[in-house]
Amino acid sequence: MSVLIDILLAILVIYLALQSLLAPRLSQSVFLFFAFGLALALAWVRLGAVDVAITEAAIASGFLGVLFLDALRDFSPRSSEEQKNISTVQNSRSRNSVKSLLLPRLSLVLGLGLFLLIALEAVWNIPDGGGLAADAEKLLPQSGVEHPVTAVLINFRAYDTWLEIGVILLGLLAVFAVGKIQIYRKPIPVVDDILLRQVILFFTPVLFLFGAFLLYFGKTGPGGAFQAAVLWGAIGILLHLGGRPIFLLIPRWLGQLLLTLGLLFFLILGFLFIAGGATLFEYPPAYAGVLILIVETLAAISIAAALTAMFANLNQMKKEESNKIDSTN
Amino acid sequence: MTDLPISPYPALLVGLPILMATLSLFFRTRGEAIVGIIGSLLTAGLALIAFVEVTKMGTVIHILGGWEPPLGILLRMDPLASVFIGMTAVVGVFISLYAWRYFPAQEATNGRLPLFWPLWLFLWAGLNGLFLSNDLFNLFVTLEVIGISAVALAVLSGKSPALSAGLRYLLAAITGSMAYLFGVALIYGSTGTLDLKLLSQVLEPGTTTSFALLVITLGLMIKMAGFPFHFWLPPAHSSAPAPVSALLSALVVKGAFYILLRLWMEVFGVSLTYAAGQLIGLAGAIAVIWGSWQAFMQTRLKLIVAHSSVAQLGYLLMIFPLIILAPGVTADSADWLSPVWTAGIYQVLAHAFAKASFFLSAGIIIMALGHDRIESLRDLVGHMRITALAIGLAGVSLIGLPPSGGFMAKWMLLKGIFLSGQWWWAPVVLTGSLLSAGYIFMLLRLAFAPSREKAPFRPVPKKLEVYALLLALGSFLIVLPADSLVQFLESSEIFGSGIETILEGGINGND
Repeated sequence: MSVLIDILLAILVIYLALQSLLAPRLSQSVFLFFAFGLALALAWVRLGAVDVAITEAAIASGFLGVLFLDALRDFSPRSSEEQKNISTVQNSRSRNSVKSLLLPRLSLVLGLGLFLLIALEAVWNIPDGGGLAADAEKLLPQSGVEHPVTAVLINFRAYDTWLEIGVILLGLLAVFAVGKIQIYRKPIPVVDDILLRQVILFFTPVLFLFGAFLLYFGKTGPGGAFQAAVLWGAIGILLHLGGRPIFLLIPRWLGQLLLTLGLLFFLILGFLFIAGGATLFEYPPAYAGVLILIVETLAAISIAAALTAMFANLNQMKKEESNKIDSTN
Repeated sequence: MTDLPISPYPALLVGLPILMATLSLFFRTRGEAIVGIIGSLLTAGLALIAFVEVTKMGTVIHILGGWEPPLGILLRMDPLASVFIGMTAVVGVFISLYAWRYFPAQEATNGRLPLFWPLWLFLWAGLNGLFLSNDLFNLFVTLEVIGISAVALAVLSGKSPALSAGLRYLLAAITGSMAYLFGVALIYGSTGTLDLKLLSQVLEPGTTTSFALLVITLGLMIKMAGFPFHFWLPPAHSSAPAPVSALLSALVVKGAFYILLRLWMEVFGVSLTYAAGQLIGLAGAIAVIWGSWQAFMQTRLKLIVAHSSVAQLGYLLMIFPLIILAPGVTADSADWLSPVWTAGIYQVLAHAFAKASFFLSAGIIIMALGHDRIESLRDLVGHMRITALAIGLAGVSLIGLPPSGGFMAKWMLLKGIFLSGQWWWAPVVLTGSLLSAGYIFMLLRLAFAPSREKAPFRPVPKKLEVYALLLALGSFLIVLPADSLVQFLESSEIFGSGIETILEGGINGND
């Protein structure tokens, strides 16, 4: 029975992925992509990785979904005419070149098929290496937390996690680099929509509490900084949409502090350990539990801030572009 | 491995640049640059101290969090890693000094380009982390840090050619990362460990290992722009601001090569075959000819320099067929291993210095002329003597004329090729050198030709020219300590070693 569920789920994931790629309209692609993210999250649950499932659902369907919808809302109505033009051009072009492309396409398909077969063979025949779960369980009592995933992330392999927090900040810097906008300064018009305000009033405390719960729960069960961060990031995005852009309402230095707090605290803590004769990220066993909770909380704040700032910047960039287009018209 | 001397330097070499990068975010343009240049100088100083420590104590390690592998992560600074870190520090500090003057001087034409400093310091930390890493998954994380900061740096100018080249670079980098990660998952699934040292002991030949090696190699080839995955490099490297082009070409692509070298030599020996070495050598050989020819055909300076990178990276791939020994040959009897390794390391060093210098010179010329079409280089010698000299010296090293580092690399490579009896690589090396002589002499001929118009060159800060010249000189000076450098490297476990293959060992199919 459970094998049947797994097979159906596997087929569903691949089907949704293909449909999302092949959908004729961008909006369909985006909605199918949400569905794909949720199906993938289910697959993670079936694999026993609830942590990953939560993150997958929150990032792939939640955060990316918001970004996609936001992109969709702005540019699809205006450019639908252009799209039509482009597609007719493409049609006429592809009709001419279909014959000359047949051979390369065929060999590409055959090559990919062969590659896939070898990949399947390699995955199917994978010897069971056991993994590090047993080691993690064994050393769990010394880690300061009771959940092996959290122990691996924030203690045993804290270095990888610290670098990944850096990668998220880097992602934000890359957004800045593309848009050439420092944490954005221009105020956006305040939307006074009663419904929106009520939604924000209701969801902000709920999201905050649920995030805090996931964060604290990470000590003993699936959850932790990354999952909490997505929920807290959602607060920032909601406030932004409701015309309360946090990065404009707080002083510049505070915004920068929020963005870098997680990375900086983690690192300075590590440097202090080195100064004390230990190695980077080597918690003193007696304080490991408390320090890990602080590290996770600050990391969650920084990641949430980065997600909010990413959304705010992309949103702002599009506004400026459409303003430019409007004014030239 | 855990009984080696423990040192804090490996951790600091990653932590310090990220600390300074993060701090620089708190300042506006000028303050950001001040924190950035201080961060660069500190990181370079730290790298040199750590380098000296390794020359005295041999390989040092840092056990992160006090958790030993396989559960924890261990940083390992051996002679090979310290040479790469030292190279990054020396080349990096000159590029930093150049950038410190270049960006303010460019403000009038290109506007302010904030974020160079934090991104560059993040990139530096990623490179140091990559060279120090001894863990298959951690290598992936460092590749991510490097990839994202490199793409962000490449699009810094915000102009549309840079953006489209950057998007292509990003897609190539992500594809490479995903292929690499897929291989890592297969290896972790089949062995339950990620530590390179432990993996080399437990990895067994079989379909899974061979396939993992294949996808990891493909991923890294994409990242180092090895043929046929070189398509993203010329547009991305040539459309970035000059200091960024220098960083990307001199340092970033070497990261993927370093992992490839480590993994092939240290971890995947059981699955490698003689044919796999020949195949990757062939990819390198095509890159040498194709890249040099493309460079020869370009009419814009930065595109010449970028295509030349494709060729110069090809030489690096050509050392693989020589260090993977034919069945029946033992590493002890292979007397060509030492010259081949020397060739590899000198190719890395000489290219880093010469290419960084070349791109910095190209930036100076764009500053002076407003563009980089080579027909306007006429009478460069009359107007900008230092830059002309820097281009000449860097060019000599790229061609491989004595007494440059590039000569050392190509000479040792030829020596290894003839000693090993694999003579078919020799024409490639010679043709590559001839073609590079073609595009370098074409540039120099223009530089000496009399000008038709009167003084089209705008004045440029002298110091910029000096930094480019010093880097070009560096590609010659590296030859001086050759003996002690090779001796130092030979205390590294893998330097000078070869992979002994057996006929029936695993499937092959590596590109």
